Amino acid sequence: MKVWQYLVGGIAVIGIAVQFVPNELPAVESNNPGDLIGSGIVSEEISGILKTSCYDCHSNETQYPWYSNVAPVSWLVSKDVREAREELNFSTWQDYDMMEQLEKLDDIAIEVKEGEMPLGIYTVIHSSAKLDDAQRQLIVEWAEATMDVVVEEEEGTEEEIE
Amino acid sequence: MKKLSLLPVAAIVGLLFLQANPKPEADTMLALHPEAPALPADVKAIVQQKCYGCHNANSKNEKGKAKLDWDALEAAKKSKAMASMGKISEALTEGTMPPAKFLENKPEGKLTEAELATLMEWSAGKKKSK
Repeated sequence: MKVWQYLVGGIAVIGIAVQFVPNELPAVESNNPGDLIGSGIVSEEISGILKTSCYDCHSNETQYPWYSNVAPVSWLVSKDVREAREELNFSTWQDYDMMEQLEKLDDIAIEVKEGEMPLGIYTVIHSSAKLDDAQRQLIVEWAEATMDVVVEEEEGTEEEIE
Repeated sequence: MKKLSLLPVAAIVGLLFLQANPKPEADTMLALHPEAPALPADVKAIVQQKCYGCHNANSKNEKGKAKLDWDALEAAKKSKAMASMGKISEALTEGTMPPAKFLENKPEGKLTEAELATLMEWSAGKKKSK
């Protein structure tokens, strides 16, 4: 056997062995009563953008492509999705208190404005998730305006209690 | 727990003070920026001494500048200011500020317990003395 044959064989063996490393993709849940969409603070246009560009990681409604079950891609995918949901999960939006919602909206505006989100490694493969400048602008304006709405709503409910 | 039980007492004492001397400067500030939650003097003093060095618009510390600018916070509209306060509260709770790396060279930059308590109370409180 030639050297290259050993190499290819070795890589194949490692590639197969690696599939047996335990790894679990974060679960998908399509029934989310506390979702942002449906809370009344998003227009259809905005929810459309959020769904295509953010929801794969920042919600419980992840649409896993087939290769996200193949190691080592699966390791990256499960880590990114897990961390993304911890940071911001639109599926549980209504469980956040006012301060959390404000912080998250502020972060959305900052990250999207600066082009940090959606992550480059994600949009390279999911090109439909790429935001153009107009979409970026829309998301930033929505997030900033919604911060005021969140504060006003909270003040409204406080007055009702009083 | 003991400290927490002191809070109501502190609040009452604070109220008494407020009633005793109305602050004309604070009122004009509010009239000028009705939306801006003015920085209380005690908070501002700590910030000037312990935070502002990195967290200002001309800071050489790029990350510090990007994350928080106290002048911008003071000028920000209410919702934006509240979001920043929430993040400040988080950083203080986690103990990530001032950064450990920074304190290695400047141990005197550490927040004292009293200072930390003042900043925490301010950043966590929604709106107490109104």
